[in-house]
Amino acid sequence: MVKIKKNIAISDSGFVFDPGSGDSYSLNPSGLEIVQLIKSGKDFSAILEAVTEKYEVDSDSFERYYYDFIATLAQLHLTDPDGKE
Amino acid sequence: MTKLDFERPIIQRINAGLPSKYGMSHRLEPLSHIDGTPIKDLIGEFGSPLFVLSESTIRKTYKEAHRAFSSRYPNVKFAWSYKTNYLNAVCNVFHQEGAWAEVVSGFEYDKAIANGVPGELILFNGPDKSTEDLQKAIRNNSLIHIDHFDELYEIIHLSKEMTERPKVAIRVNMDTGIYPKWDRFGFNYENGEAWDALNRIMANKNLDLMGLHTHIGTYMMSVEAYRIAAGKLADLAIKLERKHGHVLKYIDMGGGFASKNTLRGAYYPGTDTAPSFDDFAEAITSVLMSSDIKPDHLPMLILETGRAMIDDAGYLVGTVIANKRLADGRRATILDAGVNLLFTAFWYEHDVRPVQPVSDQTEDTTLYGPLCMNIDVIRGNVMFPLLKKGDQYVIKRVGAYNNTQWMQFITLRPNVVMLDSKGNPHLIRKREVLETINSQEVMPEHLKQFKL
Ligand SMILES: Cc1ncc(COP(=O)(O)O)c(C=O)c1O
Repeated sequence: MVKIKKNIAISDSGFVFDPGSGDSYSLNPSGLEIVQLIKSGKDFSAILEAVTEKYEVDSDSFERYYYDFIATLAQLHLTDPDGKE
Repeated sequence: MTKLDFERPIIQRINAGLPSKYGMSHRLEPLSHIDGTPIKDLIGEFGSPLFVLSESTIRKTYKEAHRAFSSRYPNVKFAWSYKTNYLNAVCNVFHQEGAWAEVVSGFEYDKAIANGVPGELILFNGPDKSTEDLQKAIRNNSLIHIDHFDELYEIIHLSKEMTERPKVAIRVNMDTGIYPKWDRFGFNYENGEAWDALNRIMANKNLDLMGLHTHIGTYMMSVEAYRIAAGKLADLAIKLERKHGHVLKYIDMGGGFASKNTLRGAYYPGTDTAPSFDDFAEAITSVLMSSDIKPDHLPMLILETGRAMIDDAGYLVGTVIANKRLADGRRATILDAGVNLLFTAFWYEHDVRPVQPVSDQTEDTTLYGPLCMNIDVIRGNVMFPLLKKGDQYVIKRVGAYNNTQWMQFITLRPNVVMLDSKGNPHLIRKREVLETINSQEVMPEHLKQFKL
């Protein structure tokens, strides 16, 4: 399962701060929602279910966006390298 | 329960204190309609991608340009530069507005004739006129703008065999203070070549010297260059009258006015930097009006404005094929139209907009076309909203040079529609099909069969 690094601060408005690097980021609303779902311990299938229930998106498209998003988080070193899906 | 719209999740680094290129990050407003017609419906009816031309914008721009000059000068004519967009429907809008035709090849010449332009209202420019082209132009009393001495001598030679008198002008190149100098075309002013050519024409009893022509460059952002050019042509006109008592019918200042597109690498957007028609008109007409040309001998002023006349009227609309991530983490969005259709992407940072409403969220994106090559970039590094596969986009200001310089490469060229003044679409060029291309090919007998 993907894990967001423990020390990363995430505000309710989508502002993200990495105290390790000093970099800050902003999440769009759907990005924030997904990060919050990840933080609450949900795996991909649970997130997929939550999102497709609420939003107009099919599961194939969502899967693509999701893994692309996770890859970006990893590139920015915001996820735990040990965490695996 | 209806579900909410979904937007791709993204995360972006915040660069504190780093303003974007234009000072403030700006939101890309979606553009959903052209002349009141929904782009979605146009794509639904005519396919994707699709070129859309606005007849009202063409007419409005023409009237604006014409007013700028005719309110400052007694006798003004525009000649439509065929190479800029020679779709016949486009040409005919200009001809209906009163524009003559400006052509640079036998093919364009024949196109103008086929459109019904009277021969004597066609300006024939360019270095490449075949003997047959010249004969045809002489027979039709067209205005031949001579590019070099070989052409001048060929016309003199033809004039002895033909009954019609060739109507000629010379193209003059000159130093207008801009770089690079366009000295490849025509006769040079500074070294006396142009004056020499004019004297040879005057010495010949068979030729009618009608005017002077120059085209000082393209996408010119300096009105000063036009002031200089108009001054030099006026000088030649005055010298002709003084020495030969010859009064010219016209001075043709060519094209070259910058359109509102933004050049690649430019710091400010073209909408802020392009001089207006009024600016160009003021520079050119004030020089002619205050020159030593006698008021009742002021020649007709001809303009061959191309890109500034039609760029705004053209749109390329289409559909997002896919999103990708580049190795460095940037977003790549692949569009269904590439540089094969949008040749001007090599020059301009085109204004690309989403068609459907989007959120404020944007991402550093490179917009690629569908071709299998690295150069197929429509926009590099643009802050762009998050479009998904199937979303539609519209590229603004593509009316000039794309419908003439597009390539049939890998894919076929799409439909072109023109929206009339009520916004109703008219198909003006049919999309190509395999047969369009194959019908030009001939298969040698021995290559017809193969076994695999
Ligand atoms: C002779 C001549 N006239 C007019 C034009 C139109 O120029 P523009 O589109 O820059 O106005 C050109 C373009 O190259 C040209 O060569």
